[in-house]
Amino acid sequence: MISDETLMLEFQGGSRAAFEQLFARYRGPLYGYFRRRLNRDERARSRAEDLTQETFIAVIRAVARYEPRALVRTYFYAIAINLLAAERRSQQRDSPIGKAAPEPSTGDAPDTSMWVREALQKLDESEREILMLREYEQLSYSEISDLLKIPLNTVRSRLFRARIALKDHLEPSARCTDARRKMDDTPSPVKLARVEGEAL
Amino acid sequence: MNKIIHPMEPEELMAYLDGELSADQSAIVAAHLNDCGECREVVAGLRRVSQGLEAWEVKSVDHQVSAAVAVALEENAGRQGKAFVVRKTWRRLFQQHWQAAAWAGGFAVFALVAYMGTQSLTGGKETQALAPITDRPAAERRSEHPTQYNYAPAPSPNAKSQAERVGKVVVGLTSELSTQLEAPDAQAEKVASGGSNLPTVSGPMIIRTAQLSLITKDFDNARASLETILKRHRGYVADLKTGGATGSGRTLNATLRVPADQLDASLIDLKALGRVESESQSGQDVTSQYVDLQARLSNARNTEQRLTDLLRNRTGKLSDVLEVEQEVDRVRGEIEQMEAERKNMSNQVSYATLNVAIAEDYKAQLQVVPPSTWTRLSNASVEGYKSMVEGVMSLALFLLENGPSLLLWIAILFLPARLVWKRVRRSFAH
Repeated sequence: MISDETLMLEFQGGSRAAFEQLFARYRGPLYGYFRRRLNRDERARSRAEDLTQETFIAVIRAVARYEPRALVRTYFYAIAINLLAAERRSQQRDSPIGKAAPEPSTGDAPDTSMWVREALQKLDESEREILMLREYEQLSYSEISDLLKIPLNTVRSRLFRARIALKDHLEPSARCTDARRKMDDTPSPVKLARVEGEAL
Repeated sequence: MNKIIHPMEPEELMAYLDGELSADQSAIVAAHLNDCGECREVVAGLRRVSQGLEAWEVKSVDHQVSAAVAVALEENAGRQGKAFVVRKTWRRLFQQHWQAAAWAGGFAVFALVAYMGTQSLTGGKETQALAPITDRPAAERRSEHPTQYNYAPAPSPNAKSQAERVGKVVVGLTSELSTQLEAPDAQAEKVASGGSNLPTVSGPMIIRTAQLSLITKDFDNARASLETILKRHRGYVADLKTGGATGSGRTLNATLRVPADQLDASLIDLKALGRVESESQSGQDVTSQYVDLQARLSNARNTEQRLTDLLRNRTGKLSDVLEVEQEVDRVRGEIEQMEAERKNMSNQVSYATLNVAIAEDYKAQLQVVPPSTWTRLSNASVEGYKSMVEGVMSLALFLLENGPSLLLWIAILFLPARLVWKRVRRSFAH
């Protein structure tokens, strides 16, 4: 299977077939990215489609400046993040009241997955975004770190907090939480070493 | 109370699940999970969270490339085209920053060396003295730097006409000679297409002219200072006139020629000689005329060379040879004329013309000592004698000029007048 980076370079060289392959690979994930993050209304679905197309248009227009320094996947999601931020700003301007933090949409979710959306809504926004990038976009810690421009350890700690919080929301009585709390109370050698290292 | 000591953070358990640990770390975590029930429970909880999140699926939409994307693709294909190939090549050349820096540095050094070499070859005293222009003969500069001439003027109509004339001369010669003489036509075409051997100028050529009108109280000092200023700025006097009647201020009108780069400094020095009444400066850009002249000159020299070679190496009819010789003479005359014109233009550009008018600030003085009596008597007698002589001379001149006419009129009018006089006397007697 040809890598995304190779396809991108071929597209840069003028290959339309390479672009069509990239389009086929990323149209679904990008649509899912936008669909899950846009507000819950009928217009959101078509808007997600539009934003997906706009992402590809941005890729086309910037292809001449593309350099294979990062993964194409990261490159695409970086464009998507910018487009989503612009979309949210536009929505806030259009809305007379405007929501400070947009809620994740149902994303065509059936009733059975409604609890997931509600649980995600309870999370802190930054933790929720990291969790969604990891779970739905399947990005690695370093890719998330690059995209959101935060340290790798911060990604990991926030992701862990988000998962534990989500677990608490889903299973308030789960023993896992107790176990984790016990582990947090336990001064493990590794943790001690890290604390000492940070102090240094 | 025995507390289990875990060799890793719970976050590392999560990283293990996400496949973010190295192989060694993963092996350690896997071994620990075999022994630690609590950690297994943590991992299972995290796994359930991920599985739970999978329940939120987004229905796949059958995306097609939209019209906007298709248009963007077409635009991109148009933008890329030819330019992209070049950009791609350059990108390969400059793939690394240090390589790009090395290329840029190398190019800069090469450009600097080339520039310095050009300066040293075209420089020298003449160039320094005539800083704004490069006025050496075109042929001389062309022989030194055949690739320097990048100024490509419009083709000179004279160049074309010369080529045509030469072509006419060749008609009577043999076909071989005709082939030889087709070259001037090619030369003319080369001029038209901006051939690389055309002369050029390094900068604008401007004939500078300045006018300065001064009034000074110390005229003699100003006159001397003018010479000093000219020597200081390596100028010379092209024309100078001084004058002034008794009872009025003296004046000096001079046309000075100073190096163009010294004009401003000369003006500043000259202004210090007195009060400035008026000042004006003008500049005439003759770059295009100069370049055109050089092109015509170059073309004429080429023509002359070809005709000379033709006479030296080929044979033909005597009439044709004589015609070619006449053409050579004519071309040489044109060359000399153009060369003189070029030198004159260079001189005008390299030496600015400065017209200076200096007037003395005259103050009328009272005559405090009257002349003596003897002087006055002597003057009166001389004046009386002079007036007497003048009167006699005037009478003599009058008689000489008008005497014959008077005598004639007297002769004509004597008898009628006598008759009239007698009748009058007779009437009074009665």
